[in-house]
Amino acid sequence: MTVPSSVQTFPARILPVTLPAGAEGLSVTVGGQNVLPLLPEGDCPNVAAVGLEVRTDISDLPPSLARAYGERAGDPVAFARFCAPECGARFLFLSLSGCHPDGGGRSVAEGAQIVRRLLAAVPHPVIVGGCGDEGVDANLFPAVAEAAPRPVFLSYADEKNYRLLAGAAMAYGHGVVAWSPIDINMAKQVNLLLADTGLPPERVLIDPLTGGLGYGLEYTYSIIERIRLAGLSGDTMLARPVLCHLGDAWKAREASDASEAGWGDVVVRGRRWEEATGWACLAAGADLLVCRHPENVRALGGRAWR
Amino acid sequence: MPAPRKREGAWGAGLALTALDVYKLLPKTNCRDCGFPTCLAFAMQLAAGKAGIDKCPTASQEARDALGKAAAPPLPRVTVGTGDSCVTLGDEVVLYRHEKTFYHPTAIAVSVNDALGDDAFRARLAAIRALAFERVGQRLAVDLVALRCGSGDPDRYAMAAAAALAVTGKPLVLVAPCEALAAAAHRVAPSRPVLSPPPDEVEAGARLAASLGLPMIVKARGIPGLESALASARGAGARDLVADPSARTAPEAVAASVAIRRLAIVRRAAEIAYPTAFDLGGDFPAAFAAAAVLIPKYGSLLILDTADPADVFPLLTLRQNVFTDPQRPIQVEPGIYPIGAPAASSPVIVTTNFSLTFFTVRSDIEASKVPAHLLIADCDGMSVLTAWAAGKFTAESIAKTLAESGVAGAVGHRTLILPGMVARLSGRIEELSHWRVLVGPQESSALPGYLRRLPPDAFTPVHG
Repeated sequence: MTVPSSVQTFPARILPVTLPAGAEGLSVTVGGQNVLPLLPEGDCPNVAAVGLEVRTDISDLPPSLARAYGERAGDPVAFARFCAPECGARFLFLSLSGCHPDGGGRSVAEGAQIVRRLLAAVPHPVIVGGCGDEGVDANLFPAVAEAAPRPVFLSYADEKNYRLLAGAAMAYGHGVVAWSPIDINMAKQVNLLLADTGLPPERVLIDPLTGGLGYGLEYTYSIIERIRLAGLSGDTMLARPVLCHLGDAWKAREASDASEAGWGDVVVRGRRWEEATGWACLAAGADLLVCRHPENVRALGGRAWR
Repeated sequence: MPAPRKREGAWGAGLALTALDVYKLLPKTNCRDCGFPTCLAFAMQLAAGKAGIDKCPTASQEARDALGKAAAPPLPRVTVGTGDSCVTLGDEVVLYRHEKTFYHPTAIAVSVNDALGDDAFRARLAAIRALAFERVGQRLAVDLVALRCGSGDPDRYAMAAAAALAVTGKPLVLVAPCEALAAAAHRVAPSRPVLSPPPDEVEAGARLAASLGLPMIVKARGIPGLESALASARGAGARDLVADPSARTAPEAVAASVAIRRLAIVRRAAEIAYPTAFDLGGDFPAAFAAAAVLIPKYGSLLILDTADPADVFPLLTLRQNVFTDPQRPIQVEPGIYPIGAPAASSPVIVTTNFSLTFFTVRSDIEASKVPAHLLIADCDGMSVLTAWAAGKFTAESIAKTLAESGVAGAVGHRTLILPGMVARLSGRIEELSHWRVLVGPQESSALPGYLRRLPPDAFTPVHG
């Protein structure tokens, strides 16, 4: 008796999206597959890409990150120039949280200046994240879009600010990360709204909101699976690469609390907390991961899966 | 424009027979002895899994067999251990947790080697026993101890098995050649260990498992190898089998795990439909990565060599997440939760008892470094907007929570911070409760800044 085939085939493909690099850098292309992740079947032209977050607000670093960042933590550009090649990051996610009133309150001009300096210092593809304050971001994104000397992705557009992001992106040739709060219908809706603005679909990534391990990761896991299954089944608005930012993993007490003796070394535990979050996202179908710990860029970046 | 949400069908859960198939097997007398008005109505209940064929007194043996086979879980259940420490492997019905749920959490075994010296052996067992953690009101712990036979000495191995069982109270995975396996299995058989003989001793191991009525892990390379090894284990009389595809890398392990689960659920390929086991010890590369992917990707039993809580705690938490029923989110107990070390003048913040809402708000309050009383209202585990829309998070229910929680005794003021999403409730809450309401931010993530900017006189005590 012969066991039947276990291969699961799909009628559609995920749209390939390219994050452009600077001169002498390697661009990153994700998407293009017609299969579920991490399986030796179907057609999967691009492996998932893992990037490193570059932070402008480094208050309250968990012990694991403080150890990994060392003295470079304070200067985002020096940090990126040293760490990105060392850990093998394929792209960088510059978080402008330092422009948030509670995160250091740097000015919009300073934020734009950091973007300019970073892009001049490294050839990697770059995603620029806003600070999360609606009022500041309304000025920050247009300033960043104008200041960036080469195409980047802006993160993120939601159903409220999508016009602003799409406008800034289209005026200067950038891409946009479309964010939705763990909600497949909202993910689709934001992509429809962005499509209505005329932003080309190959310049859009889906960010489904990544809950950290122990704090909602299961919702993210299932939303990514549903987005991916819908995309591969022919829903073009959901057939887009998915980006997971693992930063929430570090908000867990378990990732940063050194006081619990029975939980093991907090330096190892913090890194593992983010790594486990990342593997679950990859297993669900994520195409891009953003890590805070450089060692996790290396671990998740494919040693185990290449 | 809602996206499709598939629940049943070719890749989902469902009885292998349709209502019409079932109807053809019934007596078609409409005798009503089953409690349903017609045989067709009864057939529909059977096909939906909501009734059993035993309710029909006149069903033929053929019908009973056919329905019994169709109702059997596509992935059989294997139990290891007894009583409170019994571990269930397999017995799953879907490929994706959003289709229904995953029922039986991936069992985690941590290994110990009988070649260790006495002190090191005891210390290792103590370390395994200590791998237990409290999260969200649940206890997370390693389920089994995998005893490796490094000594090659059956007597030593049997004694080690007895000691491991006595010290940890956890069921055992006995990983050993058959001679040692037999010595240990006879010694601890009542505790229902699972036997794991080497791949070249599958038949001898299966005879041992059959004679003692114990479950067994069948090891062979890949799906074709497993198919014939499982057949010979069945031929030797073993019944409760677990399939170990003997993968050497994480990608191989995940590919085999997914293949077996799909063959079981979708193809109903009974000859390969077994719970799976993966030994990630020894020189298995990137064992943590393999474990972290095999937990959501259908691994039934994982053997780890690491007993470091910094490795095991994240994996147990991942397991807790993945095996949470997606249709019944974990709820937290309604009540007052102190965050930081709140005083009588600390803010009172109300939200719902949806666990994700609770943990998000709690972590944002912690981030603010402003101690506070977090008041959790009973909303059947819904988030703020969902609960409001469902009429569970209303001015009336919030006023009732304020009154019944006893929070008035914990603080000197009468000021409540309300989620910004339900700002419209504030007036009515003030009327009903006589508390002053401050409208908090729309998003929990804005709480740190909001709390730090609160005027110091917002929570002055009330008198009289």
